[in-house]
Amino acid sequence: MLDLVDRDYFTDHSILLDPYEYFEALREKGPIYRLPGRDIFMVTGFAESLEVLANTVEFSSVVCVGGPAAQMPFTPQGDDLTPQIEEHRTSFVGGDYLVARDDKAHTNSRALLSRLFMPSRLKANETYMTGLADGLIKGAVARGGVELITEIAVPFATLVIADLLGVPPDDRDHFMGVLAAGPPAGALDADDDAERPHPMEVMAGYFVNYLIDRKQNPRADVLTELATASYPDGTTPDVAELVRLSTFLFGAGQDTTAKLLGNAMRFLIEVPGLQAQLRADPSLLGAFLEEVLRLEGSTKMTSRIARKATTVGGVEIPVGTKVMVALAAANRDPRRWENPGAFVLNRPRIKENLAFGRGAHVCIGNPLARAEARIVFEKLFEHSSHVDFDAAAHGKPGNLKLDYEPSFIIRGLEKMQLTLTPR
Amino acid sequence: MPQLIVTTAKGETHVLEAESGITAMMAIRDAGLEGLLALCGGVCSCATCHVHVDPASQSLLDEMSEDENELLDGSLRRNEHSRLSCQILITPARDGLRLTIADED
Ligand code: HEM
Ligand code: FES
Repeated sequence: MLDLVDRDYFTDHSILLDPYEYFEALREKGPIYRLPGRDIFMVTGFAESLEVLANTVEFSSVVCVGGPAAQMPFTPQGDDLTPQIEEHRTSFVGGDYLVARDDKAHTNSRALLSRLFMPSRLKANETYMTGLADGLIKGAVARGGVELITEIAVPFATLVIADLLGVPPDDRDHFMGVLAAGPPAGALDADDDAERPHPMEVMAGYFVNYLIDRKQNPRADVLTELATASYPDGTTPDVAELVRLSTFLFGAGQDTTAKLLGNAMRFLIEVPGLQAQLRADPSLLGAFLEEVLRLEGSTKMTSRIARKATTVGGVEIPVGTKVMVALAAANRDPRRWENPGAFVLNRPRIKENLAFGRGAHVCIGNPLARAEARIVFEKLFEHSSHVDFDAAAHGKPGNLKLDYEPSFIIRGLEKMQLTLTPR
Repeated sequence: MPQLIVTTAKGETHVLEAESGITAMMAIRDAGLEGLLALCGGVCSCATCHVHVDPASQSLLDEMSEDENELLDGSLRRNEHSRLSCQILITPARDGLRLTIADED
């Protein structure tokens, strides 16, 4: 049997159930470690992760959707790969998504989205979120139980983004069905059903129509604002670009938020005394979620490619090699976090955890994701007196049977069957 | 390119060349200056990009939005010169803007 550290993180299903053990095996090799015989460095250190994320000059994000193990669409040549990357950008998986862009193309597009996530906008969105969570959870409590991920978390996360973007209510159900049928980000197994249009393409079809309509018939809504927005330098994006940006929000914010809810629920149930403590004082929810994000954020890693030769933590990174930033491992780096494996509320400087990344690409949806999770738990506490795993589905505590999503990016349960006791 | 003159909490002053259209936060972050975490990435929800505007530069800036004002209210270090650097757009007219990175709360 292979040593843990020699297993293939990108394809090995056994690392899914516990990636942390694998990350600790990597950490023993140092905070940055080159996989033997491969062009990939694994970063598990907190300081080293920050170093990579801050260095947008020498690193490109173009590989971050397809991951560092994906085949390169070109043979790197020369000491600056920027021209080659830009020439082949659309041949990288997701190379044209916001998260994968570099330099001015990234800055410009990110500026367009920023306005959607300002507090005043999120406040309007929060009214919708609260009503939606209320209905979903009330119904679940009335039934005595629920499958959290597919019955609450995914529809909730999806509809909230649809509301944020101003998608007409009639189309929202349709989107949900389309997204639920699609593969998760960073799927370990290649999609077996290539005939089926990718969910993002289906959604893009709708967004084209919305945006063209709003350009012609402006109204007081978010889609109009997006359709008529201009870049900070005064130039205007074309409709295709606006479509890519808006549909990408579903890709980035649906599964991640849904899985965070599951991960948080697991801590709520399993950490002794925690459920009672939070129910008694829901103002601790913010602190609770930060510690969940640190210990079990829903994005395990991101990646970069060295477009120029550089160094990280004193280690030389040759041009063209890739770096996997194991956010989940950085969040448990003992040099940064005392007793890193322990669940502790209100750690000093907890908000500096890397669950949302850092720097130029830091998750733009972070305030939304935090608000979503808080509201779901508030409603859970409002309508129920106790939540637990359903033993019929998951077995007994201490020996739970739980299935994690087969993805090298996303960390979260596929299903979580809960029992809910009414108040 | 417009210049942005930034003093760190430790008192070191840096002259940054900042591209029009980015924010002061981005210019400071990308220059790697100490003490500006900018955790939320510029969506006005973390206040870790707090700066004090030099009184002589005050007139270069617009009034702050209600969002910015409310978030700054939560900061112990707020004073009459406080702004969030992610809400300050760099423009040619703001050439020479002077800021000091606020101490962390
Ligand atoms: C718990 C939930 C979430 C987690 C853990 C998460 C995590 C992340 C991470 C780690 C990144 C940075 C990737 C990198 O640097 O390569 C990122 C970027 C991004 N996220 Fe999230 N995210 C979450 C929810 C959301 C939501 C709700 C939205 C929007 C509705 C969203 C939209 C985005 C976008 C647009 C980017 C790209 C930003 C850029 O490249 O400038 N995310 N997210
Ligand atoms: S970067 Fe978060 S408020 Fe400015």
